[in-house]
Amino acid sequence: MNFSFVLQEFDQVLLEVLTAVTPVLGMFLLFVLIYKLPKNLLLTLLKGVLFAFAGLALFLQGVKVGFMPVGTEMGSVLGGMPDRWILIPIGFLLGFVATLAEPAVRILCHQVEDTSSGAIKSNLILYTLCLAVGIFIALAMTRIIYGIPFYYIIIPGYMLAIILMIFSKPSFTAVAFDSGGVATGPMTVTFIMALAVGAADTMEGRDAVVDGFGLIALVALAPIIMVMLLGFLFPEEEAEQDPYGEDLETESDHGDKENEGTEKHESTEDDQSSEASGDLEEAEVEPYEESNISDDEKNQNAGNKNEEDDNHDRDPQA
Amino acid sequence: MLNNVKEIFLEVLQAIVPIVVVITLIQFFVIRTPIELFWQFIVGAVLVTSGLFLFLVGVRISLLPIGHMIGSELVSRGSVVILLVAAFIFGFVVTVAEPDVRVLSHQVDIASAGAIEAGVLIIAVSLGVGFFVTVAILRILLGVPIAYLLTTGYILIVILSFFVPPDFVAISFDAGGVTTGPMAVPFILALGVGATSVLGGKSGVSDTFGLIGLASIGPVIGVMILGVIFG
Repeated sequence: MNFSFVLQEFDQVLLEVLTAVTPVLGMFLLFVLIYKLPKNLLLTLLKGVLFAFAGLALFLQGVKVGFMPVGTEMGSVLGGMPDRWILIPIGFLLGFVATLAEPAVRILCHQVEDTSSGAIKSNLILYTLCLAVGIFIALAMTRIIYGIPFYYIIIPGYMLAIILMIFSKPSFTAVAFDSGGVATGPMTVTFIMALAVGAADTMEGRDAVVDGFGLIALVALAPIIMVMLLGFLFPEEEAEQDPYGEDLETESDHGDKENEGTEKHESTEDDQSSEASGDLEEAEVEPYEESNISDDEKNQNAGNKNEEDDNHDRDPQA
Repeated sequence: MLNNVKEIFLEVLQAIVPIVVVITLIQFFVIRTPIELFWQFIVGAVLVTSGLFLFLVGVRISLLPIGHMIGSELVSRGSVVILLVAAFIFGFVVTVAEPDVRVLSHQVDIASAGAIEAGVLIIAVSLGVGFFVTVAILRILLGVPIAYLLTTGYILIVILSFFVPPDFVAISFDAGGVTTGPMAVPFILALGVGATSVLGGKSGVSDTFGLIGLASIGPVIGVMILGVIFG
């Protein structure tokens, strides 16, 4: 087995990552210098940029030499089979599992549970979302196999979202639309998309560009629609006031440490100079994709933060 | 700090491993592509996992906290105009570095045999995010209800979609889904929190909501316009 493919065109990837990360570095440097933030920040900044650079390079290389070609190939094998309907159950399965595995989805589920004042249990939301994303990916595959125009699916989908929004409680609307991206995790955007493009490419009368894409859009739409629908099914009067409301009983062991961080954040004078490290510490626990919760809570409700969400992840009953 | 690193690592594993297992099962029980290809997949999975891990460590341990600081500086020193300009630059720059956006653009570049270039697509998506983040911040400052803007944005998308060449329709909708990645989301929210605190006493919670929802309308419209121009 020859592994030389691993480094194939890695120079190009490095060049690309350089163009991706340099603007970030430039912007940060600019602000740090203009606002005369502490000099030790520059070191932290450099470290972060180096990590991000290395990470992005490895990630993109992995997608380029691994996920993309293999996903495309598997897609075209499946699409070329006599019974290519098999793409539909496979799409469903992949969507279901990807959603079940995505950490950001768990956080959303607790958010919805809180928004509904506990009326909608987070496990119910989790499996509803898994089903929804599975069905939407199956739908995307069906569309590719039978050549259904993308309009026929996405326009009604968007219309449905608008109509639901008109009737939905503001709290649910806000959570729903922010949750659009939670299910589009690293596997959906890389592997499942390549699978769809490969399948579309291999089928006669299908175009890789016209028919192969659209899957991510559907995966992003699924949680928006489902969260608002669930809001209807479980009416709860009190839900209005506190969209990302929090259940205080979960704030226990981690609470104190987090409180400290937040207080530092609030004393604005300090946290820009000497307390910089406190600020750094605080933000280390931001969860992937869903730091909206933490950011809001950081401002509004001192100390009740995402470690709590992580607790939920491990123990839904908490 | 080590705890957080460990947490990030577990989080990345949690998101990737189950799907790798399912694909392995499909490989051995359903399709049996050549074994070399399967190894390529496994190597890809290892690279993606380690890459995403390093990237998130860099973002969360360093870039994000600094972003927060810049956000609060902007608020305490800057005028509204500076805040809006910064919102545009933030939105643009972080989307340029967003991993998911890059993957989509590459896939489009390959599938269209270079007709829709990755670089052009990335710029269209990033401009869209920058513009809509600015709009979102302006909304917070002016107190416009989020539903108005979401409805307007969605209706605009639906209308535009009838004028966009078929090549661009699905891609543009996909572009809305990929911007909500590990890089853009935390930064955009940091900015929103900053803008909300400008308002001082006014309720912040419901105001920062919808920021991501709005931000993901931008790229859809951006790519659609790209399609109308170049398609």
